[in-house]
Amino acid sequence: MQPKGFERALGLGELLSGIGRETLAAELGRALGRPIAVTALTGETVLGEPTEAGEGVRRVPLRYDLEVVGYLQARECDEARLRALGRILEFFFQSSARYFLASELHLEVVQADFQALTHKHQSLVHSEARYKALAENLEARVKEQVGLIEDTQRQLYQAEKMASVGQLAAGVAHEINNPIGFIRSNLNTARSYVEKLATFRRTLKTQGVPQDWAWMEADLDFVLEDFRALLAESLSGAERVARIVADLKGFSAVDQAGQSSVDLNEQLRAVGDIAATQIRGCAELVLDLGPLPAVRCQPGQLNQVFLNLLLNALQAVEGRGQIRIATDVRDHQIRIRIADTGRGIPEAILPRIFEPFFTTRAVGQGTGLGLTVSRDIVVAHGGRIEVESRVGAGTTFTVWLPVAPD
Amino acid sequence: MAECDKASRKITIKLVYYGPALSGKTTNLTRLHDLLAPDLKGEIMALETHDDRTLFFDLLPLGFRTPSDWLIKFKLYTVPGQVVHDATRKAVLSRADGVVFVADSQRSQGLNNSESFQNLEDNVRRVGLDFERLPLVVQFNKRDLSNIVSEEEMRARWGATPWPLTFASALSGPGVTQTFRTLAHAVYPDLDARFGLAARHGVGPDAFVSAVMGGAAHAA
Ligand SMILES: Nc1nc2c(ncn2[C@@H]2O[C@H](COP(=O)(O)OP(=O)(O)OP(=O)(O)O)[C@@H](O)[C@H]2O)c(=O)[nH]1
Ligand SMILES: Nc1ncnc2c1ncn2[C@@H]1O[C@H](COP(=O)(O)OP(=O)(O)OP(=O)(O)O)[C@@H](O)[C@H]1O
Ligand SMILES: [Mg+2]
Ligand SMILES: [Mg+2]
Repeated sequence: MQPKGFERALGLGELLSGIGRETLAAELGRALGRPIAVTALTGETVLGEPTEAGEGVRRVPLRYDLEVVGYLQARECDEARLRALGRILEFFFQSSARYFLASELHLEVVQADFQALTHKHQSLVHSEARYKALAENLEARVKEQVGLIEDTQRQLYQAEKMASVGQLAAGVAHEINNPIGFIRSNLNTARSYVEKLATFRRTLKTQGVPQDWAWMEADLDFVLEDFRALLAESLSGAERVARIVADLKGFSAVDQAGQSSVDLNEQLRAVGDIAATQIRGCAELVLDLGPLPAVRCQPGQLNQVFLNLLLNALQAVEGRGQIRIATDVRDHQIRIRIADTGRGIPEAILPRIFEPFFTTRAVGQGTGLGLTVSRDIVVAHGGRIEVESRVGAGTTFTVWLPVAPD
Repeated sequence: MAECDKASRKITIKLVYYGPALSGKTTNLTRLHDLLAPDLKGEIMALETHDDRTLFFDLLPLGFRTPSDWLIKFKLYTVPGQVVHDATRKAVLSRADGVVFVADSQRSQGLNNSESFQNLEDNVRRVGLDFERLPLVVQFNKRDLSNIVSEEEMRARWGATPWPLTFASALSGPGVTQTFRTLAHAVYPDLDARFGLAARHGVGPDAFVSAVMGGAAHAA
């Protein structure tokens, strides 16, 4: 096996490098007082003039690294001086070797370091690429997860709204009970009036009783009059019940995913009626509904939008104020404005109110999804929601819907 | 790996003094230069910085001729102990036939010793040598100091390891040749198996050790 790297054997030529050879030979010759020559083991002269071996030629071995590497020779010279010069040359070899070893080891180390660095760099590049891929992947996955969570939350919200619709329905049931109550009592009264008529009939059949007297006895003047009123009242009560039931039917279309063609004014009236129990005593609801073309939409969903906006408005007026719902057609679009005279929305939070989960309500009072879901629904219908607000003066939400969405 | 050059009839053996910074590797080599007296002994070539810290290595060449008239050459190297010179340590360690691990006996140096020993093991593997089979002697140096771990404690700690332990004060000399002798004995069998030192060159183990140590062969 050949020695490698910094440990390789050095030749005489290398050991003599670093100083001009002619100068070196000349100075050595001057020191000795005779021309000198250095020969390699092969006999080749590497320094000075070749000298013929023969009488009068002296030579001393030159060692490097424990071994003879060449000879220093001169003709007819002082032996001791020649030896001394040989030692000096050996020091010179040592010093050259020191330089060679150091520089070659340095080279080796630098190369090894460079390789290590290159390797490190490559693995860094590699791992950076992996982390980048991972990071991108992660971002996508986080987004996906967040999306999933938001979707779930929105679904939950829909379910919750359904539950609150249930509460509204309870209020509505109460509303219905009232007319049903007086209709029932009217009907009872009507039955007693019918009894009275039957009594009059019997009296008429009995001989000898004057008819006038019998009429008065049965108080039929009053009966006739009251019967009419009672029927009128019952009819209007029944109508009220019928309307409420119709409203409820329209509203409960929330989970019916079908499209149908509706008059949004009717939907808005229905929403107003549904919320009537909550509005009564807290705010004055004014409907200013202009004629609208029929719209193909998912009425249940739009109702939910209107209810969200209405309830937000109700919460904003804080017990005293007006809520105005106005509709008209502007620039070939249907415009529904729900305006309140409530506290208004501070400018700082105005850009955020449509963000999912953004709410200023006390913990547990609002999910902060009302406007988010409303906007989702309106956008799904090809429309948009705008908001204008002045703190202390009130807020107007405007829903724009296309006249003929396809 | 020792080299065998048939053309010029020589075998070159590489021995490396390894260990933590300032444990006394260079001092060991200096002492060996003074104490050993083989037939052939070169000068120490030191590649150090201005403050005497080894930069690349120190190198001491020793040698003797066999009855078969071959040259057996020893190249004794030290590595730089400072942590930053790891690449140099690795280059110097490559192709080593035997290693002296010079530990510093001072109590404060335990961690440096074990880190350096771990580094030796790592580098031995990195340069492709077999750590289990590499002849290794562990020297505890600076025994002349007072704040040192006692010999019993060292033996208790290191006794279970397969390596011979020696104790030295390289600055004044005791233990230095003993350590070298132990390593010379440890490297012989493998060299003999590969080059037929006894059979072909007429150099048995004792002759091998006394030849490289010269007059110091039987000194302490
Ligand atoms: N007291 C005492 N000091 C020692 C002994 N051996 C070495 N030293 C001292 O420890 C210091 C470092 O010795 P070196 O031989 O240069 O240490 P090194 O291991 O070669 O150090 P690096 O080349 O930096 O790795 C020197 O001051 C030595 O004089 C010893 O046995 N006893
Ligand atoms: N008409 C309004 N007047 C003043 N502030 C409003 C009005 N409408 C919405 N906001 C503000 O916007 C926020 C977000 O409304 P959003 O309907 O999305 O959620 P919420 O009403 O807080 O909760 P949820 O509707 O889920 O019960 C409200 O908390 C409120 O601060
Ligand atoms: Mg809300
Ligand atoms: Mg040193």
